Amino acid sequence: MAAPFLEVKHVSKSYFEAGKEFKVLETVGFELAERDFVCIVGPSGCGKSTLLRIIVGLDTPTAGSVRFEGKPLVPENPQVAMVFQSFALFPWLTVEQNVELGLEARHDPPERRHAQARKFIDAVGLAGFENAFPRELSGGMKQRVGIARALAVEPLLLCMDEPFSSLDALTAQSLRDEILQLWSTPDLPPKAVLMVTHSIEEAVYMADRVIVLSNRPGRVVAELEIDLPRPRNRKEPEFFGWVDEIYSLIV
Amino acid sequence: MDLHSITKVSFSQVVALARAVDEHGGQADVARIAEDVEMELDGIGPIVAAAEFLGVVTVEDGDLRLTDFGRKLIKASVKERKAMLREFMKDLPVFRYVIQLIETSARPASRQDVIDALAVHFGSHSAEDLFRALVYWGRASELIAYDSRSELLTLRTPGVPMPPAH
Repeated sequence: MAAPFLEVKHVSKSYFEAGKEFKVLETVGFELAERDFVCIVGPSGCGKSTLLRIIVGLDTPTAGSVRFEGKPLVPENPQVAMVFQSFALFPWLTVEQNVELGLEARHDPPERRHAQARKFIDAVGLAGFENAFPRELSGGMKQRVGIARALAVEPLLLCMDEPFSSLDALTAQSLRDEILQLWSTPDLPPKAVLMVTHSIEEAVYMADRVIVLSNRPGRVVAELEIDLPRPRNRKEPEFFGWVDEIYSLIV
Repeated sequence: MDLHSITKVSFSQVVALARAVDEHGGQADVARIAEDVEMELDGIGPIVAAAEFLGVVTVEDGDLRLTDFGRKLIKASVKERKAMLREFMKDLPVFRYVIQLIETSARPASRQDVIDALAVHFGSHSAEDLFRALVYWGRASELIAYDSRSELLTLRTPGVPMPPAH
């Protein structure tokens, strides 16, 4: 059998302070297959963001492993890209320069870099804003830059850490729909999406599968296949059924 | 009405508002939608006004009703939405006026030129707000490009990328 696309196995994370162990994650395990759109939900402080940082290689587990197509992930692996809650843009660079930044490590010729950046600026609806600076953009547009930058490196796995939580509700909803629209475009990377959120509604709205983490230390308490047809209507009873079920697992 | 009603609203907020009305079957009370999207009425007010201005919803007695244009907008792709926006924007008096200003001057129009012209036409008190809106909606519809370092406005051919900044 082929190795899973992504395998998170027995991952634990502890911090040690003054000789005391502070457990954040405890033997977390799950797998992702190609074409999976998975959301990880859990109460605040359950270690879900830490888990994501471990998966993308920004943090190391105390125990356990993360394997990507059977191989350990190396830091700065171009196969994974991250979208941050804080956008993480460079204020002195234009939209296009911010998007190109992720491509510099690849040593592509400048023309190829420009073309690649423009393709993804266009895909996230930012055509027209190439020369704008982050301070000229709304929060929603800043996050579009973050998404374009992540997609431009053509990652196999796209990770998003609470990407909409600093946006107003309407802008957030627009971005959710646009992400799903991009996801349904077959010629765009990635092969799978892993998103962390504290919003159960958001998880049910977006994901094919929801992984529910417990209170700290975070453990997987459930994995649920959300089989609702798309586009999902948040006003329908089936939708609420899922939200209620996950809610009851967390509290 | 002109660009004044959309100076503090983004296109994505308008699209999301249309989506929220659609989830209620295409018609809903403003208060209901405000509750849905967790916004105060004074926060959602400008977005409703913008959506009405853009022809996405009609508003009557506090009831929002999605128009055919609004329905099309929701179903459209990100690129199609831009094209729809462009069709609408290019006929707005303020856009027509500024596009003409840029076309007829031999050099790119400066921020100051445009603000002065806007002040003459629409009053000086709102010229700065109007300029910001013009830049935002001009970029969003790919009709106008603005470089905030040189403070110059240029016309842009939709779909053709601008040369990269150096």
